[in-house]
Amino acid sequence: MTTNNAEPNRIAEVVETTSTGFTAQCYELYGAPALGSLVRVGDPAVYAIVHNVTTAALDLGRRVMARGASEPTEEAVYHNNPQIARLLATHIEALVVGHGVGDATKYRLPSSPPRIHAFVYCCDASEIASFTDGLDYLHLLTSSSTPAIDEVIAANLRLSAESHADSDAFRTRAGKALATELAGDIARLNAILRGIS
Amino acid sequence: MALDLYQTAAQLEVATAHIGNLGDQRARQMDIALATLRGADAATLNARVDAAQGTLAFLPAEAVEDPGVTHAPGPLPDDFTVMAVDGSHIDVNRHLPLRCSLINIGGCRLTYGATPDAHMFSSPRLRTSDAELYLADPASLASRQPVEGALMGLVRAVQEAEALADAVEEADSDLPTLALIDGTLVLWELGGDRYPAYVRSQLMDNGILAAMARLRTMAQQKPIAAASYISLPNSSEVSNLLRLALCDYDPLGDCQRHCHAFIPGDRHCDAVNEFTDRDLFARTLAPGERSALFASRSSVVRDSYGDHKVHFFYVNVEEEIGRVEVPGWVASDPALLELTHTLVIDNARRGGGYPVVLQEAHEQAVVTGADREAFAAMVERALEGQRLPVYTSQKQRSKRQRYV
Repeated sequence: MTTNNAEPNRIAEVVETTSTGFTAQCYELYGAPALGSLVRVGDPAVYAIVHNVTTAALDLGRRVMARGASEPTEEAVYHNNPQIARLLATHIEALVVGHGVGDATKYRLPSSPPRIHAFVYCCDASEIASFTDGLDYLHLLTSSSTPAIDEVIAANLRLSAESHADSDAFRTRAGKALATELAGDIARLNAILRGIS
Repeated sequence: MALDLYQTAAQLEVATAHIGNLGDQRARQMDIALATLRGADAATLNARVDAAQGTLAFLPAEAVEDPGVTHAPGPLPDDFTVMAVDGSHIDVNRHLPLRCSLINIGGCRLTYGATPDAHMFSSPRLRTSDAELYLADPASLASRQPVEGALMGLVRAVQEAEALADAVEEADSDLPTLALIDGTLVLWELGGDRYPAYVRSQLMDNGILAAMARLRTMAQQKPIAAASYISLPNSSEVSNLLRLALCDYDPLGDCQRHCHAFIPGDRHCDAVNEFTDRDLFARTLAPGERSALFASRSSVVRDSYGDHKVHFFYVNVEEEIGRVEVPGWVASDPALLELTHTLVIDNARRGGGYPVVLQEAHEQAVVTGADREAFAAMVERALEGQRLPVYTSQKQRSKRQRYV
């Protein structure tokens, strides 16, 4: 699969879906957005945060074999075995954190999950700034049982800060929102705050 | 338990102990066989085969070169393409409620060099019409052969060759190209009188040979070699040829006359008769080398293949000895023959001992056990969707619903 040139932000397609999250296959091998990125899927839009990226054999029955023992570089392994890129696939897993209703953004789960084969888009800076203008979505993240979710939250807030004109003000606002969510767990709060700064 | 593995293991132990006792004898026979191979002269051996025409109890190869010669691969082109096609099928199954079959053709095209690329495809074709389920005599539609069992395999082999020609046409590349089929180029089953002439005509003349002719036409414009690859070949045509070198009866090679009463092991030719071709070439070919070139003397090739007469050589792909078959127009072109040898060796190295392009074509073509079950369920659902009665045999039902 290759990236759609007309829509450069379209990076993946949903292949598994639930009310709380989805898995999408990236069009490009290793073409996943960064951990913690905000992505948009479907119409009406559902927003989600990338919490896990995996690259493995497309056919789970075929184990990947080491091929580089006599190759000088990792690049050479791919260059001399052009089939590899067709046999591997990168998948992203994302937690749903909101959805669009008309012009408004609701920071809660949509009534129905994205459809299989729905296109996944990377959000641009203005879309990220607009979505993270409200921080109620942090409740869905902090209450998730996803492994290493605190790392994902910190990564998302670091990335989101870059999309705001006043990054420091955003971090401060996000810190206060987290303090409200994690008032009973100071150790966890501090760990995330250290990850933001 | 369906298979009593305890009893099977005990029988295996006895069998393998027996094989071990043959070690010394085989080593002596191998020494004789290798000396015969290295000293063999193509013209002499071919003359001996001709002299024994019609009296041999086995099929010898035709030697194109002295059988003992070996060749190193040529230099690898900077840029080149290797492509392969493989097939799999679901045969007509009388336990299914619909008379149908399916052929899945899979293929792979790999380009190496400055701009590496990979292209894979698979094309399942459901066969339900009479034209697909029977091969009919154009002169009399009352005569027809059901396409199932061995004939289904032959139809699939023809479709693989046609798909390979299609793939080469579609690639439309000027790069040196090797187009591979898995298995043999010889449609052995069409030899003799097993099938009527109209079946041979459709599968041979208008089938595999027509596809080969398309490849040959393309090869006249561009450096394209067509070949097939057989892993762990079990053939003995070269070994059989060497039996003629050891036979000293007069008249030569009249097996029924001289050897009908001999116990195998006592005949002059038994020193080589114990071995397959790969047994011999495993000891004479260095990694990457190919054997001398041979040609098939089978009647089906002699009677039908013409310019596509099947030639073959063996290659040491390091992990095993493989057999490569090429049509006559590749065999007679030294550049295409060397390209075939070189690219087979290179692709087998990349695939850990088996051409990676064939591995991937197989992966595209394979129909798994789960696929077969899913296909049967789809057939039933499709009939139910049309509100047609769904009958299946009680045997099929009992397999699905096993009970005590």
